[in-house]
Amino acid sequence: MKQHPEVNEVQEFLEIASDFEDPLEIIRESLSNAYDAGATEVVITIRDSAAGSDIIIEDDGHGMSRDDLKSFFDLGNSRKTDSIGHKGHGTKIFYKSDRIVVDTAHNGSNFHAVMDRPWEKLNEKTLPEYEVSETDTRPGNTGTRIQISGFRSGEGFDPQSLTYDKIHHYLKWKTIAGSTAHFFDDSQREMEVVVDLDDEIDDTRDQLTTTNQLTFPREQLQPSTGEFPATRMCKHYPPRKIEFEHDEGSSTVEIVGMIGGKDARNELPTYGRHSVQFGVWLAKDHIKVEQINEVLTHDNEFIHFFFIANCQNLELAANRGKVRNKASSLYKTLKQELKHYMTKIAEDPWFKEDYLETRKRAQLRRRAQSQTTSLEERLESIDTNGQFKPTNRSEVLLALERSNNEADNSITVKEYKADHEVPAILLDDDTLRTSHVYVELTEHFEDDYPLGSADTILCWSYGDIDILREYERNGYHGGDVEIDLQDNQIIYHHEDRHTVDIITVSDRLAALEHQPLTSLD
Amino acid sequence: MPQLKQTEQTASFQVTATAGDARAGTLTINGQSLDTPTFFPVLSFYGGGTKSSVFGGGVHRTIKEFMLGKEEIGGGTYDKYFRGTMTSVASLTDYGINQERFNDYTSDRIKDRETFSDYNGLIFVDSGGYKFLHNNGLDGSDFEIEIDQREAFRIQKQLGGDIIVNLDRPIAPNDTFDERQQKAERTAENAVEFARLTQTYPGARYLTVHGYNYSMLDRFFDHIQSQFGNIDISTLFDGIALGSLVPKKDDKAALITAVMDCVEIMEERGLADLPLHVLGIGSGSIPLLVAAGADTFDSTTYIQNAINQKYAVSLTKHIPLDAVDFNQCDCAVCSDPKLVNWMQGNTEYQKDVLGPVAMHNLIIHRQEVRELRQRIKQHGTDPVIDYLDETVGRNDSIRKQTHRVVNEALGGYF
Ligand SMILES: [Zn+2]
Repeated sequence: MKQHPEVNEVQEFLEIASDFEDPLEIIRESLSNAYDAGATEVVITIRDSAAGSDIIIEDDGHGMSRDDLKSFFDLGNSRKTDSIGHKGHGTKIFYKSDRIVVDTAHNGSNFHAVMDRPWEKLNEKTLPEYEVSETDTRPGNTGTRIQISGFRSGEGFDPQSLTYDKIHHYLKWKTIAGSTAHFFDDSQREMEVVVDLDDEIDDTRDQLTTTNQLTFPREQLQPSTGEFPATRMCKHYPPRKIEFEHDEGSSTVEIVGMIGGKDARNELPTYGRHSVQFGVWLAKDHIKVEQINEVLTHDNEFIHFFFIANCQNLELAANRGKVRNKASSLYKTLKQELKHYMTKIAEDPWFKEDYLETRKRAQLRRRAQSQTTSLEERLESIDTNGQFKPTNRSEVLLALERSNNEADNSITVKEYKADHEVPAILLDDDTLRTSHVYVELTEHFEDDYPLGSADTILCWSYGDIDILREYERNGYHGGDVEIDLQDNQIIYHHEDRHTVDIITVSDRLAALEHQPLTSLD
Repeated sequence: MPQLKQTEQTASFQVTATAGDARAGTLTINGQSLDTPTFFPVLSFYGGGTKSSVFGGGVHRTIKEFMLGKEEIGGGTYDKYFRGTMTSVASLTDYGINQERFNDYTSDRIKDRETFSDYNGLIFVDSGGYKFLHNNGLDGSDFEIEIDQREAFRIQKQLGGDIIVNLDRPIAPNDTFDERQQKAERTAENAVEFARLTQTYPGARYLTVHGYNYSMLDRFFDHIQSQFGNIDISTLFDGIALGSLVPKKDDKAALITAVMDCVEIMEERGLADLPLHVLGIGSGSIPLLVAAGADTFDSTTYIQNAINQKYAVSLTKHIPLDAVDFNQCDCAVCSDPKLVNWMQGNTEYQKDVLGPVAMHNLIIHRQEVRELRQRIKQHGTDPVIDYLDETVGRNDSIRKQTHRVVNEALGGYF
């Protein structure tokens, strides 16, 4: 005898409703339903009650028919095909409550549906029932009002923990209120979303109003002044549709986003820990689902980026928290496409040269500043009449000492700390001078040290002077650098003008058989 | 300073379209025209053999049979892939020939020989500087010839090169500053002698330049210019050949820098109207360097890959010969059952297995460069950007450099 596996309907409802713990997830479902019903405004009211929370969602959409209402309460009978909740699970969140009342006006009829004690009944292993009564209403009268009383939040999701800020961020991050569809579809209707919290929950303002569209912080391509000039920089990257082929057919990914510093990013709503919110997000229905930061190459910190890549062929887990079809060729190809596109973004000169360079220079400047203090202390502790006591045997320093026999003036090393960025303090003509030490001058530039952290660079030789010349030509740390080998000076202009003397030990030693200097030009 | 007369124009270069820094043009030498960007396949006209073996040379021999449409390969028409070819003075003794044979090889112009009389493409004869740098000359089985500028030119002339270059001293990545200056001085001296020797030469004369970036190249040009005094070198040379890049052939970033900087210097020095040839570079670098402003290329990669049993599916992708589905390619080689049979190993000589593979690889090379040329001629930079994006940009190791070229030479994506 053949047997088919049985479905325990009650258990099914219980499990689905239990998947949702956050009252905000009710909002997510309601907003999508309202948008699908053509609403231009939806108002959500949340009140704290002894049993849980009372949630009222009202929209001005075209309402539900008797069949729609049936789908609203049924499991697995959604009438939607290609949008949120199309598995029919969404509205089952509402079952985790004491009472559900739906009033909906549609085509001249008003349906009033009541379901009493759904959660209690499910826990008693019986299916809750609902009753529908129909009355006439004038044809222009439309809209839906859903009232859920005594919604059971999970632990940590109680209404007291709700704030306007938290709801705002949730809306923008996880619901249609944060949709990027409008970037791709001009006909995307704007829907106003109003949230009204009980004063007991949050009395910082009367209500929250937002729309169903995610927007980016204002563009600012130029650095600001001040210590952190890059932090408000922001660039928008226009919407792009990319079609791609994979084993299961062809798909489209719609990607839009921005690059921005911390201050720009702070203008975005965030959900959860701010610092981990950025990077690249996969989206469906233009609502962010899951990060896919691995499409950024390892040399790029994801924190600068905020991109949303929407693909309708992604399949999501029931609670929309994850992409389900990750083993598919679609997913793998999508990832490749995103990697390709994100590399273009990461190689955009604005990001690489303007933004990152501005950021890096500010960091180097701050680092150099913090070193100045310790350098000053070191200078003070040096006894100018003391003996040369190198702590390092590097040949350059030994050679410097020897060169004193040949050269016109005498330079001694007062202190050498190999692990410091500016390792040496030299005594040159009764003057203490902070100095870098290199075998070749080019190393200073290759190691990317700031010019200005010391007043001298001691080196054995210049190294490849065409390399130095490239730095002259391309600039260094955002400023102009002039390397004057005749006068043994480096002149650096960036806001201020700074001069660094070059001491070339090989020249000092070779003073007698000195050859004319080769010029950089 | 030497007195150098400007000679009758035997060569001209017309730029017909640009897309960013990329340019398409027509190179005309001795009445023969080539559309640029273009690729010159390197081949060995004399590979140790005799007339009956098309002067020998393994895979090179089969390639020459293709070039000449010989019966041995079925007589197809492949000449359009050989409108410009590259050979080197240095390759003459690659097979350890004796002096008698060397004298034979250099006794007549290539195209005046009966064997090659059907060949009417342009022959670019390199000076072989990279080889003579280490062993001062040509080394046969029973003779040695010291090569200086005069001797190099004599051989180039004997071979009948349509494009010839001065004897140069290529630089190496580890050269010190001083070593580079010595080489630059030698090359500059040679360039002056070359200009003097070739005043009445009926072909195009290219000046070789060496350096990896602006500063090196600029200094190199300074050495050249100081040898020529106040003579405008753009009136003495018909093209610029950028050398010394072979050791950097896998470092795309370095190649792009060298070409971009060379283009910049040529502009600054009034040489922008001359074609820029990149010596010894082919394959996946070509689209990037075309975008950066290079016009012509040569390399042996199409043959080297064939010898390593690698079959090209694009400029950047090769597959092992034993994994090839020849139905996937509709080139003349892969459409010929006899040649496919050879490539599958069913022939006596290895050269005949690999020769058609090399020919196929060359066709892929030429087709891609042709595609690039057509894209440059279309409106705006998007066609070229799209090409880069869909070809080299799909290769993980070149993607970043592709973006760099798009950003720096083609106006960027955003
Ligand atoms: Zn083929």
